[in-house]
Amino acid sequence: MSNHEQHETSHRPVQRKEMSRRQFLSYTLGGTTAFMMGGAVLPMVRFAVDPLLKKKDSGTLVKVVEESKITSEPQEFKFKIHQVDGWYESDPELVAWISKGEDGKIFALSPVCKHLGCTIFWNTKGHNEYDCPCHDARYSIDGKNLAVANSPLDEYEVVVQDGFVYLGPIIPNTRV
Amino acid sequence: MFKTVYNWIDERLDITPLWRDVADHEVPEHVNPAHHFSAFVYCFGGLTFFITVIQILSGMFLTMYYVPDIINAYASVDFLQHQVAFGQIVRGMHHFGASLVIVMMFLHTLRVFFTGSYKAPREMNWVVGMLIFFIMLGLGFTGYLLPWDNKAYYATKVGVEIAASVPFIGDYIADFLYGGDIVGAQTLTRFFAIHVFFLPGALIAMLAAHFLMIRRQGISGPL
Amino acid sequence: MAHGHNSNEKVVYVGDTRVKKGKGFQTPPDYTAFPGKSEAFIPNFLLKEWMVGCVVLVGFLTWCIAEPPPLGYPADPTNAAFIPMPDWYFLFLYQFLKYPYVSQDYVLLGTMGVPAIMFGALLLAPFLDTGKERRFYRRPIASSLMLVTLAGCVYLTVVSWDHYQHMLEKNGQVPEHHEREERVREAIEEGKPRPNFMKKTAAVIEPDDPAATIAQEAACLGCHAADLGGASGPALIGVGNRLSKEELVDTITHGRNNGAMPAFEGQLSTEEIDQLATWLSKQTQE
Repeated sequence: MSNHEQHETSHRPVQRKEMSRRQFLSYTLGGTTAFMMGGAVLPMVRFAVDPLLKKKDSGTLVKVVEESKITSEPQEFKFKIHQVDGWYESDPELVAWISKGEDGKIFALSPVCKHLGCTIFWNTKGHNEYDCPCHDARYSIDGKNLAVANSPLDEYEVVVQDGFVYLGPIIPNTRV
Repeated sequence: MFKTVYNWIDERLDITPLWRDVADHEVPEHVNPAHHFSAFVYCFGGLTFFITVIQILSGMFLTMYYVPDIINAYASVDFLQHQVAFGQIVRGMHHFGASLVIVMMFLHTLRVFFTGSYKAPREMNWVVGMLIFFIMLGLGFTGYLLPWDNKAYYATKVGVEIAASVPFIGDYIADFLYGGDIVGAQTLTRFFAIHVFFLPGALIAMLAAHFLMIRRQGISGPL
Repeated sequence: MAHGHNSNEKVVYVGDTRVKKGKGFQTPPDYTAFPGKSEAFIPNFLLKEWMVGCVVLVGFLTWCIAEPPPLGYPADPTNAAFIPMPDWYFLFLYQFLKYPYVSQDYVLLGTMGVPAIMFGALLLAPFLDTGKERRFYRRPIASSLMLVTLAGCVYLTVVSWDHYQHMLEKNGQVPEHHEREERVREAIEEGKPRPNFMKKTAAVIEPDDPAATIAQEAACLGCHAADLGGASGPALIGVGNRLSKEELVDTITHGRNNGAMPAFEGQLSTEEIDQLATWLSKQTQE
């Protein structure tokens, strides 16, 4: 150490690296507060977000109609699923428009308009299209969005087994 | 960053004195358990407040699942306690916390009584404190009905019958609490509203008054 | 406790120390004027308070994790066997109302009179006890009244709880929430789904069976209710799950629970009992 350096430091205010007692207490207080709030609130937060972390059940297949009844013209079919909504169990009715595509595959469209969620119908205006009564959205027979809506209609998962059509959970459109 | 925002607000609203007053006021030795262990009796007020905060929070979270309806109330409580993760703990915090609040408040009241801290000039604060006590008992009573099990049902019936024995207006009080002639759907919604909105609102107002008065008058001096 | 108590101090410690009497409201003197070591509320003092808070919180959470909150069976207005009990902090009042002179003709005294005086006195304590003395041992009347009341409340609570336990034992009952917990635990151990305790609106099976008329005429329905949902006697809906036809015959013939269910031997013919038991054994629930 040179004299020069000593001279410099003696004129500077003393730089203390350790924190003051007050600062230490403040940090400890903050930590304790965080611990207390965390201890009390964490169980509640986990409780509140439980629906996010619950495993989604994959959805069961529901028998809807005989395969032989499906034509290339879409038909409306109603079917019931068993729904467990918390403590409330019910059997709500769902609607599917089922038809046979040009490729011979059976597919089922959900009638919920992708624009704002109204319920669409087949061919109400005579254009052989799905029409939405709310904002005139139109979809092709495959569910392709033609006007207003910006995505195609959703499909139900379809399984054909032993001459019957079974419908499962909703999936994004696979045909467009 | 935080400092800049704080300064920006402080320049306009001068908020520093508000919290400085709370933060920097000196707490005397005779209530400090670090100096006299027996001073732990002065902690009960703060603990009552702490448990009350837990009650308010856990109550808020419980209403995410609970429905005040005679068909679904029991089912929803059953669901939230057993099917939702941590439901047992959250409902437990609210259920046992209710008892703990009463215990803490009781000890706090006894401390204030036996140290004579309710005497002039703090009479008003004592009265407000007693009102808080009554509100807490009311919260306990109304909360008891909400799970809609047998215990809830019969305890409520007994409680309202007691209220009904008041001369002249008793029947009106009972009808008001029942919301009809029986303990039923309308009683449950009423008790829910009282438990969740009316009494907590009154409680928060009273707590604010309680704390303001303490800050204004200071803690009572040593014996 | 008054450390360094000294009448030469700025503040004189008589009664309350911070607001001087007779001069209107004054800003309380800063606690630095007090003797002994005062310290700032934040962070010094609050940290100590929080330490106590942490201990309480940890204890409280442990309790909440260890002990599930009680939940009984769904409310059933026809349940006559249930012993209603208020929450523990109302027990003293509940017990108090059982005593003579505060019940029956005097019930008003019990529900209104005495509580109004007690709670009123508590509410208005500062106006009743106006002396300057703060130390409890120098205020014998106030302190002893409080202590006697406390002892009374504790006594009433203990007696009430004791009576409840006694009643449970006498009736051979287990508190509902314990029974429920036990049933759930058993079901889960056996690998069954959680039992649903919501009372299904179950209907009587074959209500036109001639045995239904027998049940009515033999006054079975007086205790078991017209819809067999149970009143002072247990529900008979679903009894077919619990008892076989032979057991039913035996119960009807010889009674049960020391005559709580009377014996119908002699009142009903053997054929009638047989008919009744056949019909009851059909009362099954899924």
